[in-house]
Amino acid sequence: MADKKFRYNLRDHAADYWERSPKWRRVSLSISFIAFFYALPFLNNPLINTPGSDFQSVLFYPVGMYVLMAIGLNIVVGKSGLLDLGYVAFFAIGAYTMAILGTHTSLNFWEILPIGIALAMVSGVLLGTPTLRLRGDYLAIVTLGFGEIVRIVAVNIEAIGGPRGIAGIPTPPDLFKAKFTILDPKPYYWVLLTFTLLIIWMVRRMAARRPGRAWDAIRQDDDVAQLMGVNTLKYKVWAFVLGAAVAGAGGVLYASQILSIVPDQFNLNVSILILACVVFGGIGNLWGVILGAALLAFTPERIRFLSQPRILVFGIALVVMMNLRPDGILPKKKREHFDPNWKTVEESGEGEIK
Amino acid sequence: MTEKLLELKNVTMKFGGVTALNEVNLHVNKGEIAALIGPNGAGKTTVFNVVTGVYKPTSGEVNFNAQSLIGRKRYQVTKMGIARTFQNIRLFGESTALENVVTGADVHSKSGVVGAIFGTPRSRREEAAAVERGMELLEFMGLKHRAGQLGKNLPYGDQRRLEIARALATNPQLLLLDEPAAGFNPAEKVALAATIRKIRDAGYTVLLIEHDMSLIMDISDRVAVLDFGQKIADDVPKVVQNDPRVIEAYLGAPADAS
Amino acid sequence: MDFALLRDAFWGLTFDGLALGAIYALISLGYTLVYGVLRLINFAHSEVFMIGTFSALVASGIMGVKIEDDPRTGWGMVFTLLICLIAAMLASGITAVLVEIIAYRRLRQRGATKLATLISAIGVSISLVELFRIITDSLPREFPRIMDKTFLFSYAGADIRNDKVIVIIAAGLMMFALERFITKSRYGKGIRAVSMDESTSTLMGVNINKVITVTFLAGGMMAGAAAFFYILVYENTSFKVGFFLGISAFTAAVLGGIGNLKGALFGGFVLGILETYTSAVFGTAWKAVISFLILVLVLLIKPTGLFGESIQQARV
Ligand SMILES: Nc1ncnc2c1ncn2[C@@H]1O[C@H](COP(=O)(O)OP(=O)(O)OP(=O)(O)O)[C@@H](O)[C@H]1O
Ligand SMILES: [Mg+2]
Repeated sequence: MADKKFRYNLRDHAADYWERSPKWRRVSLSISFIAFFYALPFLNNPLINTPGSDFQSVLFYPVGMYVLMAIGLNIVVGKSGLLDLGYVAFFAIGAYTMAILGTHTSLNFWEILPIGIALAMVSGVLLGTPTLRLRGDYLAIVTLGFGEIVRIVAVNIEAIGGPRGIAGIPTPPDLFKAKFTILDPKPYYWVLLTFTLLIIWMVRRMAARRPGRAWDAIRQDDDVAQLMGVNTLKYKVWAFVLGAAVAGAGGVLYASQILSIVPDQFNLNVSILILACVVFGGIGNLWGVILGAALLAFTPERIRFLSQPRILVFGIALVVMMNLRPDGILPKKKREHFDPNWKTVEESGEGEIK
Repeated sequence: MTEKLLELKNVTMKFGGVTALNEVNLHVNKGEIAALIGPNGAGKTTVFNVVTGVYKPTSGEVNFNAQSLIGRKRYQVTKMGIARTFQNIRLFGESTALENVVTGADVHSKSGVVGAIFGTPRSRREEAAAVERGMELLEFMGLKHRAGQLGKNLPYGDQRRLEIARALATNPQLLLLDEPAAGFNPAEKVALAATIRKIRDAGYTVLLIEHDMSLIMDISDRVAVLDFGQKIADDVPKVVQNDPRVIEAYLGAPADAS
Repeated sequence: MDFALLRDAFWGLTFDGLALGAIYALISLGYTLVYGVLRLINFAHSEVFMIGTFSALVASGIMGVKIEDDPRTGWGMVFTLLICLIAAMLASGITAVLVEIIAYRRLRQRGATKLATLISAIGVSISLVELFRIITDSLPREFPRIMDKTFLFSYAGADIRNDKVIVIIAAGLMMFALERFITKSRYGKGIRAVSMDESTSTLMGVNINKVITVTFLAGGMMAGAAAFFYILVYENTSFKVGFFLGISAFTAAVLGGIGNLKGALFGGFVLGILETYTSAVFGTAWKAVISFLILVLVLLIKPTGLFGESIQQARV
């Protein structure tokens, strides 16, 4: 049987280069990479400037925020293969936590942040534990319902502003020298970037260890995963809850920057758009997802002149993209490692087992 | 004194109108290689599915080490010490051979998500142990050189062997093999027979479904025969081979190579 | 909370719920049929319904009906109603078939993942909604009154209105026809065979592509009929109409046991009635919340729906 040959392309070259690099080079590459992103708001390049809107604001929202949320949703959809169509609900829960506690208590952003994350996680557990037993298709509809429900509940409760939402959300207190004001999105962007890097780091750790293997197994064949001893429900709930935590954190930060929120910001389209980022970039591949989110969030800002049929174009693009590249622009593709020392089958059963 | 590791008592499994198993009594003794044979559609795979919790039997008891398996979750059954392979190979095709096996080996780890994020000492220790166990089993099955290759890209025979390695990685007391030699050539079958013996000698108990009679006669200590969901014989290979009912139901039928 | 309303108007609400339920049931048949054959939620089905409502609207315009006109009478009325019904069924049926060709076929033949297929269907759904949003300028449209709406009789304080009676009866007839089609016709048998076991059906010579097309056509036509009945009773539509009814209809399908035709019927009526009751008690704003809670509850207690799935258990 013919084995697959190495397929050399830019991506494999990059990966090879990385793998062959000594530690010092990897560290210095990573540092310059990260430094570049921290310096991004100062960049003034006509290619990436957004004429219709303020570039620094665009970096925070939608670009940075969508990247963060896409990474979070990718744990759920990409890693574990669970279709969540109501992801915006957790974002909303984070944002409302910030808005309610920020306007009614003396707690500041940094104190509310863990509460918002915790509440998002708790709702993840509450929603996930019963529904994640269900087959994937049911999950899609239940999460879609949940996303809408959270919005409808917010619209219908007068105590939290009803359809008018909540205004006057406080900004975070100063951190070091950085002042958080409505006028300057840079500090928010840096906080967001820090969150994002932290989450990338965590996701990469998990992916390489037992949770990553469990999610891989669940995604590929739930039945077999169970039969190989994976407590699939537990790992699905974990994926769900981690995704919720990321969205919750995003929501808290978003509310503290935007200063006022209304329920209609958290509609189904947001969930769909984040899902599209994940699928468009390449389900399951962290870098693909980041690229996809950055592109999908940035492009509409860059082409504001297309404002009316923008979403129509987006819908058509999804269909075309899925038909042409069902695995996304940067599909997840494992690189294989070959051992040139072939052995014949008759040699099986060597070595010892306990 | 033989000890019954697995015991099915009066197990019936119905799918709508189809009775796949009808009042089946079956047991596997500790330390033996038992075989389950029968014509296509006899209910052999259904026995595996009932034991591993894929289906809940319509009636009857399934005991393992004198504990009932009925109503247990599939992963619990695996944790208790039963692992299986699949008639139509079901590897994790997008994972490497090593990852496939380590997924099985993870069963006995205690650390999970939190441990992985914070890299606790226990998590590191268990990771290392699971990977080591995985490599050991790949080597045992002659697949060490395949460790980095994706499951779906392995040659057919290696895929079958990888399934056995993955099942062994869960450290089962009882290993269920569903037609492990299907599609093998005679040389591969001989090698597989030797491997199965070695597995038994290492202390595992094996229950094997197979269509190849010479392989069965060669390695099994006991053979049970199913026909249309009913057990029609259960004895040492020699006796079963000469049982007229078996010959009629199974051996008399045209040779089946599937 | 207004339990008094529920008590006083109980039979009237039940009757209204039955009419709404009939519409849900008809839409949910499409979800159930497609799910049976492809094991996929047809995400664009709600837009198949939406297009049905607009087609009925256009057909009424072509028939010369105007908003300010008096309702028609006699055979002229029957004829106009039938034309609108047929237009909606045709438009929805054709849309459903096109959806399958555009969103599903290529992906299915390439063996793409469920997720990719779903996103593709979502893409079609978004595009259709946006297309109609742009065409209609985001405004709802009113459907002219073709038929005079009168109360036929009163029962226990409930006024039974003629259009709703027609909807309930006609929906029942439609479902009966579908049932006959599935059990008796060649294609119907093909649909059932594929729902049971795709690979074996292929071996037995069932042309899967044709069966799938027929499935979408049948489901689409049912949604078209639902669209006509909807617009007849509620007399308005908008580009968003599919979204709201789609979720409820899907809930109905799951409630009854997706893949099961009788389940869809039953789920539709149950949900229609429950939603009407809960709107009376808690206000319409909470209707969606309560349907959702009912769905989750049912799935928790009986994950395969009230009637159970007709689909076979997954094999290992
Ligand atoms: N999930 C199921 N739903 C309905 N019928 C089933 C199911 N699983 C098995 N059966 C039926 O039960 C009977 C026994 O099937 P089983 O797979 O156990 O046979 P087997 O002995 O393993 O056959 P083979 O040698 O072909 O593998 C068959 O008639 C089969 O069609
Ligand atoms: Mg079998």
